[in-house]
Amino acid sequence: MMKTMSISVLGIIVGVVLVAILPPFLDGIARKVKARIQYRVGPPILQTYYDLQKLFGLPSLRPTENKWFRVAPYLALASAFSAAFLLPYGKWVPVKFSGDIVVFFYVLAMVSVAIIIGAFSTQNAHSNIGGHREMMMVLSVEPILGVALGIFAFKAGTLSLSAIPLKVPASFSTVLAYLLLIYAAYAESGFVPFDIAEAETEIAGGVLVEYSGRLLGVLEYAILAKRLVLLWLLSTFLTIPILRGIALTGVVGGIVVLAVQLILVLVAYPLIAALEATNARYRIDQAVALNTRIFLLSLVVLAVAAVGW
Amino acid sequence: MEDVKISYTESLISWKRPDLRVGVPVTVKYPLVPTEKPPEYRGKPHIDPNVCIGCGACVRACPADALTAEWDLENGLKSIVSNPARCIRCGRCEEACPTGAMKLTLEFELATPNKEDLVEVVEHHLTKCKKCGDYTEFTERQVEKAFQILPKEIVDANALGEKMQLCRECRMEESVKILAAQGRIIGDPLLLPPQHAKGGEK
Amino acid sequence: MVTKECLAEFEDKFKGEIREKKFLTPTQILYLVDKKDLPDMAYYLQYHPEFDESYYVMGIGSDERQLAGKFAYAPVINMLDGSGKRENFYVILKARLDKDNPEFPSVAQKLPAALWAEREVRDLLGFKPLDHPDLRRLITPEDWPEGVYPLRKDHAYNASPAGELQDGYKKAPEDTSTVPIGPYHMALDEPAHFRLFVKGEEIVDVDYRGFYSHRGIEKIGEGRLTYNQIFYIAERICGICGFQHSSAYAMAVENIAGVEIPARAQYIRTILLEIERIHSHLLWAGVACHLVGFDTGFMYAWRIREEPVMWLAERLTGNRKTYGMNIVGGVRRDFLDYRKTEILDKMKQLKKDVEKLYNIAVSSDILIKRAKDVGVLPYKVAKDYGVVGPTARASGRNIDVRRDHKVFAYKDVDFDVPVYKDGDVLARLLVRLDEVLQSISIIEQAVDQMPEGDIFTPIGKLPPYQEALGYTEAHRGEVIHYVLTGTNNKVYRWKVRAPTYNNLAAVPEMLKGYRVADAPLIIASIDPCYACTERVQIVDVKTGKVKALNEAEFNDLSIKASEEL
Repeated sequence: MMKTMSISVLGIIVGVVLVAILPPFLDGIARKVKARIQYRVGPPILQTYYDLQKLFGLPSLRPTENKWFRVAPYLALASAFSAAFLLPYGKWVPVKFSGDIVVFFYVLAMVSVAIIIGAFSTQNAHSNIGGHREMMMVLSVEPILGVALGIFAFKAGTLSLSAIPLKVPASFSTVLAYLLLIYAAYAESGFVPFDIAEAETEIAGGVLVEYSGRLLGVLEYAILAKRLVLLWLLSTFLTIPILRGIALTGVVGGIVVLAVQLILVLVAYPLIAALEATNARYRIDQAVALNTRIFLLSLVVLAVAAVGW
Repeated sequence: MEDVKISYTESLISWKRPDLRVGVPVTVKYPLVPTEKPPEYRGKPHIDPNVCIGCGACVRACPADALTAEWDLENGLKSIVSNPARCIRCGRCEEACPTGAMKLTLEFELATPNKEDLVEVVEHHLTKCKKCGDYTEFTERQVEKAFQILPKEIVDANALGEKMQLCRECRMEESVKILAAQGRIIGDPLLLPPQHAKGGEK
Repeated sequence: MVTKECLAEFEDKFKGEIREKKFLTPTQILYLVDKKDLPDMAYYLQYHPEFDESYYVMGIGSDERQLAGKFAYAPVINMLDGSGKRENFYVILKARLDKDNPEFPSVAQKLPAALWAEREVRDLLGFKPLDHPDLRRLITPEDWPEGVYPLRKDHAYNASPAGELQDGYKKAPEDTSTVPIGPYHMALDEPAHFRLFVKGEEIVDVDYRGFYSHRGIEKIGEGRLTYNQIFYIAERICGICGFQHSSAYAMAVENIAGVEIPARAQYIRTILLEIERIHSHLLWAGVACHLVGFDTGFMYAWRIREEPVMWLAERLTGNRKTYGMNIVGGVRRDFLDYRKTEILDKMKQLKKDVEKLYNIAVSSDILIKRAKDVGVLPYKVAKDYGVVGPTARASGRNIDVRRDHKVFAYKDVDFDVPVYKDGDVLARLLVRLDEVLQSISIIEQAVDQMPEGDIFTPIGKLPPYQEALGYTEAHRGEVIHYVLTGTNNKVYRWKVRAPTYNNLAAVPEMLKGYRVADAPLIIASIDPCYACTERVQIVDVKTGKVKALNEAEFNDLSIKASEEL
């Protein structure tokens, strides 16, 4: 499959810079928006940077000798970055090869898997319950994401993630696939009402409960990065098909597309924050039931796509 | 999403969704901006040393032992000690105070590295017994105040002008002598009054 | 009085056992009875056909050896006629117990409501309830020595002896694993330990251990404070219903002194009690939203609790909480004149805000999904356990001390008592939100009707060795205080029964059959006093090994780990 692998140095630089800098900033915006909805002033926009800076400066307590406990956060972060490298930034794609959509799918799941490994490496029951819940969420959401991406790949006729938006045709099934993608990206990101694995008031942070200091910082960073990756995927799939004409026409076109992608992300995040602020958390069985229904729906969409609509 | 049908909330559910207007923030940067303190507020108690007579009514009223009286009979001092760290701000002391020296202030920001900083002590001089020269259990201001508020007839009738200058022992001796003179006590009057323990009373 | 006929019937039925009958107040009747038929009497009164909402309120145990040479155990029954035709009253069945062998036939074998009360008198006074179904420790800690009973008069109020550690937990049923919630948990206001015995996700049985923050307040009240000083510690029994406790205590002492407090004082008490109720219910609604992750509802509820409600309390009493307003015979401070219009303005604002909160909370589909049909407490169980307050009213019990016993100025104002039949968490939420609106209306009426005049009737010395009850309807249910006066203005026996005492005992019944994920919400739904971080341990039934790390292990590991880094 990896016959034609191409690496763009510029793409890597843009990708690293964005994924390294943007997630805490977006979180800062979300916190501010939520605060304003709740009639509060809220923390400064850069608060999440301060939080992470502080966490990175603190040593971590280790409740277990299990080395996976220490490895898991870094694994999660590395997975999130790897996923980010497969996405197009304007005209530049850091890493591109045929079949990278499969790799993207797996690497994205690895973020959750790493978190689950970390959660199960300790003997804390909260952490274990959180791990269980995360696993249930992954098992019920990933298929939806998989089917959605599958429809796109099928319609575009390519297995390269960055090539799909350039080739995907407008049809009934792709419109439905967009809806599925939006739902899956939202649920996978663990925003309220899907923040079941962390559920602060029920299981005291769940998967995060045993982490502290630097490791907690890395883990939170990985979660934020994963949210950005999913959102970027969404924004790419929405932007590039529309700007297909200029996306590959040179540096200026590339920058325009990149800017539009960025603006879309910046607009979407406050909307998500507003949605978070006005919802309560699902119980895990309710979330899984909902996901299952959506998954069955996605199979119908897949059938529609197969028929050729 | 599944439609939830609940008999008694159906009418409520049909009400409009919450409005998402961005509200005016209600949080304030508290220590940096002053807060409003209503006149009724009960804050840290404060004793006005110029008005206090050291009677100890507040000490008896205090349910939390935040107010204590300390005696130094050697040097003739009685101190009223107010410890706001123990205070529960009930305001009983304010009600009990006969002179209005005790007041609850509007102050409530009492954070301090050392609780002792908050303690207020008002020292009073005790009167000296005219007869034996020991200190009595009354403060000078207490005696002054007593003469101020008691009608002259009562003071005269009970010979209080004389009695209040004496310590408890001597006062009892005097009373016993008078009673013995009237023939109401039989026996040696000098054996009767119990020796009261000096100092350390708290 | 219509009640007389019912009493005559009761007296007739237990003719041989009743030694003495005394009216403590016109609606508080004390029977001095033989202990032999105590369970039958309590059962007869609780399930009285005409007083159909009656329930077992509490069991008072007291060391009356200095008075009568014997111990005393006294179950209290609140006789309530659901139809409202007859006058309601309290019956105290006082039985004297032998000084050397304080045995009595357990009421709990017939009435589950007495389960806790009898475990309590066993712990604190060393009574021996015979045939009690579950005589584990309730109040004294696991390392309290056997044979030391703190509420006996020969035990000093500050003595705290050490003993051997015992295991006080209930045995897990077969084929279940244990998921403990607590002793520290976000859904618990105070440290408490629920051990859920689960099969898969379903809760089969529940064990409760609590009283970790038992402060011995009753003992302090009996030991070293005068009757006027007890107010301030009564107010601090609970951070939320402080004024309810101090008012109930005041009422008990005023009943003993035989005074009617001035009308204006009654109105002031009523207004403050209602302000306290509003703040408590809003606080609870906020916490319920927070527990299901709906933070906007939480922030909203707490904001409106702060701005009009606590703001008002601070201006009316001098403090946001612990009002310090009560004294025996009335209240200590009058409302300033210009505050009257302020109260009305704020109530208008609050009404609008509460209706908006109602919208926000009830229109959140997920919140309703989480609360509907969860933690159902059927009417019968609620009655058996003597559940009180909004928890009872959500289960169809039509009880409310304010209306049923006409305390303070409630007799002069109109209000509805919201009752829901569903008995689930949602019903408990709705009862509370409805009550907030009722409370606003009560405050508005009370401010309008408030008479001029004195706020305080002076009371001198209290008669020694007299007893009476005082009660109010707190936010979580009936608060009841029993006072037996001593000499020198001290109190000989002061017994406090907070509503959570009755409600918490019924929580295991609410939890059975639901999922572990619902447990925090169900426990929180009775509005117990809450706090803290969760510590769940999972017990493997096969090996009996506890998987959670204990504190020492955890510390060792943490220290080791920090050294390494």
